[in-house]
Amino acid sequence: MLNRRHLLSHAAALAGASALPSLGAPLVGSDYRALVCVFLYGGNDGNNMVIPTDAAGYAAYAKARGTAGAGGLALQQSSLAPLNGGGVGLHPALTPLADIWNQGHLAVQANVGPLVRPLTMAQFNAAGAQIPSNLFSHEDQQDQWQRGQSFSGNAATPMTGWGGRVADLQTTGGVVPMALSVSGNNIFMNGALRQGLTVGSGGSFAVRGFGNNPSANPLYQLYQSLLQQPYANAEEHAAASVLNQAIKASNALNTALSSGGSVAGLFNGHGSSIAQQLLTVAKMIEGRAGLGVTRQLFFVSMGGFDTHNDQLNQQNQLFSDLGPALKAFYDAMQQLGVANAVTTFTASDFARTLQPASGGGTDHAWGNHHFVLGGAVKGGLYGRMPETVLGGPDDMSGEGRWLPTTSVDQMSATLAAWFGVSAVDLGTVFPHLANFSVKNLGYFG
Amino acid sequence: MRHARLCLWAAAASLAWPALAASDLPPTTMTESQARRFLSQASFGPTDASVAELRAGGRQAWLASQFALPSSDFSGVPYVDPDSSKGCPTGSPATCKRDNYTLFPVQVQFFANAINQPDQLRQRTALALSEILVASGNVIKLPNAMAQYQRIFLRNAFGNFRDVLKEVTLSPAMGRFLNMANNDKPNPAKGIQPNENYGREVLQLFSIGLFRLNLDGSVQLDAKGQPIPSYDQDTVEGFAHAFTGWTYAPRPGATKNKFGNPSYYDAPMIAFDEHHDKGTKKLLNGTVLPGGQTAQADLEAAIDNIFNHPNVGPFIGRQLIQQFVTANPSPAYVHRVATAFDGGVIIDGQRSKRGDMKAVLTAILTDPEASSPQTPATFGKLREPILQLTHLIRSLGGISDGVWLRSQASALGEPVYSPPTVFNFFPPDYDLPDNPTLDGPAFGIFNASAAFTLSGVLQTALNGKGVAPDTTVTGAVGTKIDLTRWQTLAATPTSLVAEINRVLFAGRASTALQAALLKAAQIAPATKPLDRARAALFLATMSPEYLVEN
Repeated sequence: MLNRRHLLSHAAALAGASALPSLGAPLVGSDYRALVCVFLYGGNDGNNMVIPTDAAGYAAYAKARGTAGAGGLALQQSSLAPLNGGGVGLHPALTPLADIWNQGHLAVQANVGPLVRPLTMAQFNAAGAQIPSNLFSHEDQQDQWQRGQSFSGNAATPMTGWGGRVADLQTTGGVVPMALSVSGNNIFMNGALRQGLTVGSGGSFAVRGFGNNPSANPLYQLYQSLLQQPYANAEEHAAASVLNQAIKASNALNTALSSGGSVAGLFNGHGSSIAQQLLTVAKMIEGRAGLGVTRQLFFVSMGGFDTHNDQLNQQNQLFSDLGPALKAFYDAMQQLGVANAVTTFTASDFARTLQPASGGGTDHAWGNHHFVLGGAVKGGLYGRMPETVLGGPDDMSGEGRWLPTTSVDQMSATLAAWFGVSAVDLGTVFPHLANFSVKNLGYFG
Repeated sequence: MRHARLCLWAAAASLAWPALAASDLPPTTMTESQARRFLSQASFGPTDASVAELRAGGRQAWLASQFALPSSDFSGVPYVDPDSSKGCPTGSPATCKRDNYTLFPVQVQFFANAINQPDQLRQRTALALSEILVASGNVIKLPNAMAQYQRIFLRNAFGNFRDVLKEVTLSPAMGRFLNMANNDKPNPAKGIQPNENYGREVLQLFSIGLFRLNLDGSVQLDAKGQPIPSYDQDTVEGFAHAFTGWTYAPRPGATKNKFGNPSYYDAPMIAFDEHHDKGTKKLLNGTVLPGGQTAQADLEAAIDNIFNHPNVGPFIGRQLIQQFVTANPSPAYVHRVATAFDGGVIIDGQRSKRGDMKAVLTAILTDPEASSPQTPATFGKLREPILQLTHLIRSLGGISDGVWLRSQASALGEPVYSPPTVFNFFPPDYDLPDNPTLDGPAFGIFNASAAFTLSGVLQTALNGKGVAPDTTVTGAVGTKIDLTRWQTLAATPTSLVAEINRVLFAGRASTALQAALLKAAQIAPATKPLDRARAALFLATMSPEYLVEN
């Protein structure tokens, strides 16, 4: 049947091959580079992550958010981690990131979200406006972020992520795919040609049950040849392809993953899942020579950001995991000598209403604030902070849902350009980039 | 299409279909292969006994017998004080917290019941509903609370979907999970709005979905070819307001009973009208609730409004087909099941009621597409880890108390009752990895990492020794697949392969797989029959043909 997703892929099929990126175009540069996507599942409340600190901005924020302890959500201004010169402060649990800001390598992107084309409030309110589909729906907005290709209606694109479309630009796939997830399957890493690979954040990556030297085991040979069968049934075919990809990459990745990692000490005391995932990424970066790759895309994630109630406590706990983990990873990249070659960025379903909801939480919103960090990043505040006023000029709903002033497509394309995607290929990987006059947001000097 | 009579009802509602007596379908018409395929769909895996029972009576008799069986249950998970320092004071045994403050006991009993209890279809239905109307153990950590929530599905598995919807809505576990508990009317002085969480997800996930659907499950398009949304933000806010005023029932011995009661999971939520919004509320299909109604009246009206939306049949029906039979049902199949949901079938001479789960389940499991796929190339589904494990144990005649299966399902990415979010372990429309025009829901948690984990699980399950009982669990017997008879069969490799084909593949293993199994069974010398049996069974269960049920 044609369900929602299939409508999209069929639409793309009808649009023809022109929707696919040009094949065989190499990435620019032969040095090593990696992008790390930190996905905050559930919709992180950016309004309490990056807070205006100028007198008028903070006062408006505090008024709309309401008093903590009385159902409200305003953070005390004195508790914020200041970002000197930025006019904003961070949630106190993200204080470790202020360090990176002070080193000049933390970019804060204000009010970014899915947008097919720039929208003023007047355009947004006009009939027939091209508004991204299914705003406020978790799954759909995760899709839009991971695709890096905002869409409206079903006039969309294949169900591919922008990481996967970048990987599609490779002429050959390699033994180990360019895109690797240590946190489950996701759209970000899947292209039309190249599928990302999900490795666990455990210490090994190998099939079991065939002894210590599987390749010498006749049973393993039978297993491998079984996986090579044609499989007319689509579900069996898909299962076989997942297994084949796993086995193909196993040896190379197992070597990298089963090592302790020289930077493990930096993650000591950080037992959180996100810290352990980032340590796993660090191990794969450290072992990159054995993987035969010069460009890598990593996906890690945290859940629990859907803070409809008890947000002050919940977000504080989440950020207490996230902040130190990002800092440890940043330090690890310096220690490995690849600080300038690795850029980390956050993404999330959507922002949350500035106005609190019953229960001390917030509801689903739109434009959000995000981080880009790494040695190559030129720190600073990018974009414009929304006016934190309910029903104000940036609020498309009355409850504090920001109409984005920067598109996910622009943010993703800026990262991809640094990664080595040529200007020509950027246009095919991000077809809606043409709708925006600013193609590069300038995170990288 | 072996049972042409069974598909007639789809064309004309007046045709009597399940009124067929068992004698109308001679049991001998059901081959063992057909019986095993049916029982993979309708139970936690065929056993020799369940195959015999089904073949003796036929499908309708089997369904009737399942409909009549009492429900299995969770025991030993009574109400405890939510404060673990009170429920497990200093000096309590080490297992006190595990057994009273984690999902461990209900997860273990889920597997024990799935393996051992006869109410197989009720349990399968309850599991399916638990993956559609999700309240996750991520938040609901008290086993008593989760048991009460899951009983909604066990109790109503053969009842009516409206009761499922209403009981879920008033369930304290769901109230906690999606914040309908203590959802207060607007407070303009403090600038606080009603909580939209439940109002949104009950529409998007539990009942109608994002887009208007045709009866066959296809999306309705507007004049420009764009999908037509089934609701908008104002509707979400309408439901959020309609659902204000509810709180937990008072705890036993509570001295106060007020809006804002502390969590209590043994009784449905209760309403306080002074905390219920008294304005009008925009619901679905242009319905506007009048102002001034009680919380109870608004709730009943809201549930009716959702339940009667034409999307529910195709939206829920298609997902149930995916849970039981195939990831990619034909539109005609969805149409037939949605028609049954809508009350378009006759049972025992009477038109079934809208939402009748027996009618829906019968339509799903006796549909010709379930037993003889029209398009074999797209038929079937990857077994999700829970069902993979239960099928393995049941079909190979193993025993289990559920303890090991619980931990292995979790390792494989499917901790029962505890998916990451309200979006379940995987979305129903997850794209098949190498063919995005098709759905492969369970592929959402299948990947290289999970596949390697699975190889270890199978290695242990098929080691012949089993997993010893956990001595900290009362009545534990462990998990074991006894390989004695397989070892005996291994003396004649062709017999071993034939038996593996019969029980694991319903006799439908490909010739390539059978040839590989025959080779596997002869790698070890004849003097090592256990090694021969293990090798063949391991290869069989690792094969794509076994991972996928079709």
